[in-house]
Order: sequence, then C-alpha cells, then structure tokens
Amino acid sequence: MLFLLAVFARPALSQPAADAGARCGPEAAKRRTVVIDPGHGGIELGAKGKLGTFEKDITLAIALKLKALIEKNMAFQVVLTRDRDMDVAVENRSAIANNQKADLFISIHTNGSRQKSANGSETFFLSTGATPDEETRRLAYLENNSSRIEDHVDKKSEEDVKMILWDMAQTAYIRQSSQLAEMIQAELNSLLGTRDRGIKQAPFKVLTGVACPAVLVEAAFISNPEEEKELVTDEFQSSVAEAVYRGLAKYLQVYP
Amino acid sequence: MAKSKNNIKPALVLALLLIVLAVLVIIFFTGGERERVRRRAEAAAPKAPPQAAEPAARKTVTLFFLSDDDDLLHRETREIAGGPSASDEAQHALAELVKGSEKSLLSPLPAETRIRQVFIGKDGVAYVDFGREIIDKFSYGSSSELAAVYAVVDTVAFNFKSVKKVAILVEGAEKETLGGHVDLSQPFLPDYSIVAK
Repeated sequence: MLFLLAVFARPALSQPAADAGARCGPEAAKRRTVVIDPGHGGIELGAKGKLGTFEKDITLAIALKLKALIEKNMAFQVVLTRDRDMDVAVENRSAIANNQKADLFISIHTNGSRQKSANGSETFFLSTGATPDEETRRLAYLENNSSRIEDHVDKKSEEDVKMILWDMAQTAYIRQSSQLAEMIQAELNSLLGTRDRGIKQAPFKVLTGVACPAVLVEAAFISNPEEEKELVTDEFQSSVAEAVYRGLAKYLQVYP
Repeated sequence: MAKSKNNIKPALVLALLLIVLAVLVIIFFTGGERERVRRRAEAAAPKAPPQAAEPAARKTVTLFFLSDDDDLLHRETREIAGGPSASDEAQHALAELVKGSEKSLLSPLPAETRIRQVFIGKDGVAYVDFGREIIDKFSYGSSSELAAVYAVVDTVAFNFKSVKKVAILVEGAEKETLGGHVDLSQPFLPDYSIVAK
C-alpha cells in the first residue's frame, strides 16, 4: 500500500504546479500511456495447445485483466492493440504504440514448443540481426544525428531516413527494455511458480520500431498440457496480469 | 558524249554500292545464324557432362535439430550429394533438415516444408526461399519459431563458409514472420550459442 502511494506521490511532487483537476482536463492528452499488445488474433491463432486452446485467446484474457489493474491503480492511460478477437498486422502493433506516443510497450504471449516437456516463463527484449559492431555504429549515428536529420534531409531521402530510424528506434531503449524485462521476470517467477527461463533477447517483429522501452512476456507453454490446463484458468491469467503489473510498478520506481 | 559518260559513272557507283551492301547483308545473316546455332549447341552441351561425371561426389554436412531434453539445437551429420554449386548443396542440406533426424531428435520444420530455391549472393547473404507450407502447416509459438529460423540459419551458415548471413523468403517474397514472432525482414547472423556443445 505504501508502495502504491509512492507511485502516486511521485508525479505530484515533480509537478507541484499541476492541480488535482489537471488530469481530467485539457492536460489529459499529456497523460502517460502504456500500450498492451495481446499477441496474435483473428485468423492468426498463435501457438496451439494439445487440448485445443489458442494462444490468441489466452493473451487477450490476460491483457484485459492487466489493463483493468493498471487503470485502477496507476495514473496511466492504457491502449490495447486489440480488445477483441481480430486481425492486427504485427507491424501495425508497433505503429499503434508510436502513434499513441507510448511510454511503455508490453506484448503478452504464451509460449509454444515442439517439445512436449518444454515449460516455464520468460521475458524478451529486442535483439537485432546486426553484429555488435554495426549496433555500436547505428547507436552512435542515432545519438549524433537524430536532431539534425529532421532539418537537413531533402524530401527524396526523407523516407529512407525514416525507415532507418524506424529500424533503429528500439535500439535506443535497449537498456530500459532489459531492466523492465528483468523486473517483470522476477515477479513472474515469484507469482506463477513456473520455471524461470530468464530474460532473453530475440529479433521479434513486434518489438522492432517501437520508440519506447518494450518487452514481450511469454507466460508458460500452451504446448505443454500441464501448463495449458493452468493457462485456461481465470486464476492463473490473473496471476500473470498481477506479475506484469508489479514488475511495471517496480520499473516506475527506477524510471518515474 | 561527255554528258552521257558523266551520267553512267554515278549509276555504276550506285550499282557497286548495292552489290556490296547485299553481300554484307548476306554475310551478316548467315554469319548470325551460324553464331546462334553454335550458341545453342554450347548451351545444350554442358548440361549432360556434370550429371554423368560427378554423381560420386558426396559432402558431409552438419544439421541442427531439437532435442526433447533441453532447449538447445543439437548437431547431426549427414552425407548429401555434392555440387554443382554451393547453393545446390545448401538446398540438399536443408532438404535433409526437413526430412528429419536419423536419431531421435525432433525436426524444427513442418514435414511438408518445401524448399523452392537457395541462392548464395556474392555479398555473403544466402537467400532461402520456402513454399507456403512452412507457414501453413504449423502453429508457431516463440520457442518453436526461433528454433525453426535458427535451425535453417545455422545449417546454411555452418556448412558454407562463404555465407555470413541468411535471409528467409516465402513464395519468393519477404514475409513479416512465420507465425507472428520472429522478424524476417533482415538477414540473420548464425547463433551458435543455442547449440548444445
């Protein structure tokens, strides 16, 4: 409870001029935004369980619970990339985050493997296909040129530059993303009781191009019948939402 | 007299010119025909010898499969038909990967997977073009999608030294992902950190 108060108190202290009504008034547009992405949807089923469960249904259920938790307890606007069973192209999911000027992006998934015995939970942040050398050069380029680029490019190469920046967008947030992943993973471990598969990097499409800290949560394996039985329960889904919420709250203590 | 002489000369010159032109035209066409025939013969000829001459050339390749015991890729060696080009050999190696393990390892690709073409570019990027089946015949989770992608990438990069990166295409075109997870828009560096020692 004290901890929740601390989360609330912070923005108030840092902006003493803002009065209580500001949040609901014209200031509402400046409210910070977290985008939650329920993996897959529509004709894209995601992984399939042996008992017939689809990943897309579990991710939506968890995302809706997480949205409710955040809206109840935090001064965040929550935007879902989908709020029902529908197709959303992977590329559009990161576009939604950027159009909403999201402060954080969390993609919810349940894992699938060809090995029946595979189990546990893990949290990913982005790795690109670039070598460490290329990565360093890209980052340096971004840091040195991002402010200049907007003013100095002609119309023709503007599109190219935008594409390059889009590719590099997540690179600038890798450190925060890894910390957010670490904090969520710790809560998944303590709340779910699933095997700790740790935090990992992977070149996931949905994370590339997101211009804010972004992670992808893999809560248990839908391909493992034991874990599939858990994943379909309201209780387990609530625990996943609670774990992500607590991880997010811890992250906000470090990056208020 | 002088007048008629002057009239005949240009006519003669014109006639000579026409004859020369006609000869040139005849040489051009018949020569061209001969050239074309020779080219056609050349094109037809080399196809026969490699099939007859090198059936015995074999190459040992390392394939990467999944095990039921851990999350790593496991090596398995296999003999494939060698040549004619590295691209052909890479295609044979991937066909073996699809066919599956001779031990009890799991194939990371759907059994129906079709390899349309493999092309190794001068820039060190190998383009592997799959048929639709690689997408349609399996519902990927993150783990199985990563395993499918890196089994392909590592198999091609490990066995063919000229390959630095591997790009995955489906039906000749760039696809977002195989099943909603791994970004296929960039060529992949091999990752041997997920391979069992």
